[in-house]
Amino acid sequence: MISVMIAAIGNIGRAAMLGTSSLRGTLAFAVRVFLNFFDRRTYNSASLMVFIHQLYFTSVQILPLFLFVAVIFGFLINGMAFNAVKNMDYLGRLLMGFVVTELSPFITVLLIALRSSSAINTEIAVMKVNREMSTLNSFRIDLIHYLFIPRILNGVFSMVLLTSLFALVVLSTGLLVSSLVFGTSVDTYVDTLLRSTDVLDIVILLIKCATFGFFITLIPIRIGLSASEELTSIPISVLNGMVKVFVAIVTIEVLSSIIRFI
Amino acid sequence: MTFFDSEDALQTSLNAFLEEHREHLGLVSPDIPLISNLPVWSNIALIRQYHENMPWEEAKALAVELLERFGMAKIVEQRSHSLNKEELFCVMLMRAAMVREAVVVLDRPFRILSNLPEGCFLTDAFHKVDDLIAEAHIFDYNWEKGRYGATDCAKD
Repeated sequence: MISVMIAAIGNIGRAAMLGTSSLRGTLAFAVRVFLNFFDRRTYNSASLMVFIHQLYFTSVQILPLFLFVAVIFGFLINGMAFNAVKNMDYLGRLLMGFVVTELSPFITVLLIALRSSSAINTEIAVMKVNREMSTLNSFRIDLIHYLFIPRILNGVFSMVLLTSLFALVVLSTGLLVSSLVFGTSVDTYVDTLLRSTDVLDIVILLIKCATFGFFITLIPIRIGLSASEELTSIPISVLNGMVKVFVAIVTIEVLSSIIRFI
Repeated sequence: MTFFDSEDALQTSLNAFLEEHREHLGLVSPDIPLISNLPVWSNIALIRQYHENMPWEEAKALAVELLERFGMAKIVEQRSHSLNKEELFCVMLMRAAMVREAVVVLDRPFRILSNLPEGCFLTDAFHKVDDLIAEAHIFDYNWEKGRYGATDCAKD
């Protein structure tokens, strides 16, 4: 009985050690990448081209699906909200305090993570398996400058832009629902939203979006790099990467909520 | 050209050479593949775009001009997996020649051009980019010597 307990405690300890070492590794990698944001050599024609391609894949190709989801959510949330809450002030706080600052970044980060984080993880793992990293090293092309930073910057920009778009679509559907169903004027609706807007919330929202964008691209890159030179390591790497991305999303969400409500 | 009796000897000598010429190195080797998610032109242009911040239009024009020298303009937008062995080798050589004052090193070129019986193709390819490269070196095994010396063009 005691030996079973000792083994169980040992396993918990090993899992904790593994977890903290992975977290330390991710944070150290994040710091390295962040410092390279300020390196002039990062910004060259090749990296710019990667950034533009990534932005297209992440923010433009996703638009039809993204807008569809935003409109559906907009009608659902506004329909329910307007039905349940008759007080306009409370409704404004609900839209700005929950829909814009909490729901919009959450849906956006899920969509980007499902689509782009998995793609980035696979891409980096495939490059590792194909030994394409050696190619870049051989031609003295820095991996962080050329491969990582354009993808991470794209994550940050895409998160901020798409979250803003999501919020805009949801608020616009809110205007439509309120004016068609409840006969609220545009002025009243906009005025209600503005009165419910807290600048600090918007600042926290932007920082949260940027943090989401940073980590949902950084983690897949880091995990992709850990792939071995065997093809079978690619799915394992993507699986690990996506789990860690999910953990990161939940962690950032919880931390931002704590910061917002203290 | 330098020939070796064993893989170990070749690898040791090659590594030392690569380290010595790292600054201007243009390595052509199956161990240094093309980037698979980039088109051919981008694989060639990447070196100048990264190191010299050359605008992509200019870099692409340069890559296309090089591809035309080899009569390969039609592969400009293709990816590495759709190239045949000769095209793959030539694109790797063009990429190596993009390095300023390039010290081009062919590491066992017949590993890429396994279908070719002799080295005439190599000398022809070198001649097409000789205005861009400062030095050219070939590292291979002793038993491949015959493939280089089999024709007159190898003397070039």
